[in-house]
Amino acid sequence: MIGNDRPTVKKRSGGLTHLGRKLHRYVSIDGGAGAHLLAQLAGRDPYFQQVSSPRHADLLLIVTPISQKLAPAVVAMAKALVRPAHVLLIDATHGISTAFPRETFVSVEDLFPGAARVPGNSIETILATALHPEQWSDLSVANLSEPDATTIPLPQRQELELATELAVLSLGPLQPFTAGPLRLFLICDGEQVLSLQVEAGYAYRRVEQAMMGVNWQEALTLSSQCDPLAPIAGQLAYVRALEQLQDWQPSVSITALREAAMALERAQNMLWWLVRFAHIIDDAPLYERSYHLATDLTLLASSVWKSFPLTWIQPQQVVGRGVIGTIDAAKWRRIAESLDRLTRQLTHHRGLALRTQGIGVLAPDRLEAAGILNGPIFQASDTGKGDVLSRLLARLHIATRDVFEIMDTLLKRETAREQMPDWNVPEGEVRLTVNGPRGAIGLHLLSQGGTGPALVEWQRPSATLLALLPELLAGQKLADAEVILASLDLAMAEGDG
Amino acid sequence: MNTVLTALFIVLVLVVGSYGIAVIEQLLAFGPRRVGAAFLLPLAAAMMLLRQEDVRPRASDTFLFRSAPFIAISVVALVALVIPVGPNQIGFDPQIGLFYFIVLLSPFVIAMMNAGWSQNAKEGLFATFRAAAYLVSYEVPIGFAAIGPVMAAQSLSTERIVQSQSGLWYVVWQPLGLVIYLVAALFISFRHPFDSAQAGSELEGGVFGEYSGARLLLFKLALNALFLLLMSMGVVLFFGGWQGPFLPGPIWFLLKTVALTALVLWLTRLLPRLRHDQMLALSWKVLLPASLVNIVLVGVLTLLIPGGR
Repeated sequence: MIGNDRPTVKKRSGGLTHLGRKLHRYVSIDGGAGAHLLAQLAGRDPYFQQVSSPRHADLLLIVTPISQKLAPAVVAMAKALVRPAHVLLIDATHGISTAFPRETFVSVEDLFPGAARVPGNSIETILATALHPEQWSDLSVANLSEPDATTIPLPQRQELELATELAVLSLGPLQPFTAGPLRLFLICDGEQVLSLQVEAGYAYRRVEQAMMGVNWQEALTLSSQCDPLAPIAGQLAYVRALEQLQDWQPSVSITALREAAMALERAQNMLWWLVRFAHIIDDAPLYERSYHLATDLTLLASSVWKSFPLTWIQPQQVVGRGVIGTIDAAKWRRIAESLDRLTRQLTHHRGLALRTQGIGVLAPDRLEAAGILNGPIFQASDTGKGDVLSRLLARLHIATRDVFEIMDTLLKRETAREQMPDWNVPEGEVRLTVNGPRGAIGLHLLSQGGTGPALVEWQRPSATLLALLPELLAGQKLADAEVILASLDLAMAEGDG
Repeated sequence: MNTVLTALFIVLVLVVGSYGIAVIEQLLAFGPRRVGAAFLLPLAAAMMLLRQEDVRPRASDTFLFRSAPFIAISVVALVALVIPVGPNQIGFDPQIGLFYFIVLLSPFVIAMMNAGWSQNAKEGLFATFRAAAYLVSYEVPIGFAAIGPVMAAQSLSTERIVQSQSGLWYVVWQPLGLVIYLVAALFISFRHPFDSAQAGSELEGGVFGEYSGARLLLFKLALNALFLLLMSMGVVLFFGGWQGPFLPGPIWFLLKTVALTALVLWLTRLLPRLRHDQMLALSWKVLLPASLVNIVLVGVLTLLIPGGR
């Protein structure tokens, strides 16, 4: 998990140590769970550079698991690499993907025989492995049918004098604008997007069906994968649902602890999103500052908990002050102040406003009609102009507030020792929401008194936003469409379900 | 024999200059800033590209695809001829050196368009259109910005322009012209924030999206060398070229060029990448009127003050 990863302190070294080092350029494929991990990797070592075209790369990083639908695109990307080339597989879910039915994911080892594999829990381990691809076997790609190269038909258009020719630009499914794969067919009149079709499902994992097929305990693990980038939010929603079914009310201090864990997850998500967004609009100072902030927060987060929240946000766990680790109040305050300063500076940043102001406006009533009533997107529309810049600032405001909240909760340390209820779930039905990093994550859980859930339905903020894409991007310029798409922070694993 | 030696010398200078630009970029880049890495990384990048295979996309236009990097590097080599690095130290000095310089910049954009068009890919096609937009947006402002020094020096010869700044550099009384020149120079050399034709995240590498190996290296080299030449010409037009006390002329020229290059590269980091239409608006709505104002100002000053200073 990002929260448990401890970035290494930069080591100083002389110029001679660089002699003989080889440069490696990589393209990355994120199956849906690796957005933060890839954002952390980029810019970590000058000899390990991210590029956008496979023709410029000698290394392919694949963050597994990869769905069956995405596999042909992954193979096509690998085939486009120039030789000599290598593949590195990174397991971002730490083996949790095995909890899903076998047919959900493709066996990436079969697609790339001999590819190296590393666990995704340490950036330093990944980097150490990735910097020496010459020690692995060369890229070998299994034979697989090419992805569907067909495009969508162009709409009928009245022939006009001096009319330009329409073109369909296929964006994705492997693109950097969303956290995970998504394909868009943009019908463009020159640089203007006239309309678009969205093709999702490349990160589809059948979370709901999988949860309904297992017992209450196993469903807990799967609930953390509702949004792999925010596992605490998913698991907390599930645990709260179980507690409501058992008619058990956690104490104020436990609730505060849980809220702090979720606030930390939200803040981390928002900062790593900012890193990715700054990279997309190619704003070097913003990228540099947000990267440092996100890295510092990740480093602090790694020492906050003695045991990671996923291990104690579950039934039958004894929760007390023992779960809280080291809190360096001065460092937390520094981060909160840096965030606050960054927010104020970006409010008046004219260069950033050039690329983000007045585009991708979402009106509050439109969001309400779509069922989006909280989260950063709604806050940006409710209190700001609802454009890309407002969304950026809203996320920073939320992250700042969250960091202050974490400080308040954890410094008080007023945590009583308390045992949560067991796994005996009675008959009943419950609907609830928790505030995830992308908005409200809703859960509808039905128990018929059996060994596992009878019905599980997740309400996923990314899925709701996905439905708004056609009207939001139509009429925008191509370069803006990509910035708007990035500003929504769509997590495709969560969106596809 | 002299011609061959001159050509070889110019190519060598361009390669070294291109390396210098890459080093400055590394020093300014985000990430662990190690001086050793900044100096060795460009060499490691060149070695990596030289090791790679040279791929040609399916159904591409072979001639245009293969020739584009060579056109780019040839243009850069020809443009370098009229930059005076010291007194009487110039490839050749036609009386219309500055005109020659500006006119020969256009084929560079053509090379970029060829590279994008020949790929037979939609991303390349969109990038080609953007490159074409660049062509029409830089030509007029850069020409008008360069007219200021020409009016003051009463000559199109680059050597004569340098000599006429022996008393006072033109930047002192033509700062607007310098700003317009530098912005237009960023347009031509496809530099950030005007790099949407080769933008990484938007069009998967843009016009260079399908290039690999030695051909990509050649393109990168040409782009860096072109930027260096544009900064060199900026020094010639506004900073008195090789002139300066104590040190030999070429050393002064080199120092001024490196300083201007580093300053421009540092300033451009402060902005995000601009959209192509914002770039066009900047060109036609801001740079063009400003360059006309600059011409009027320079004309008045040249008439009112003897020698224009």
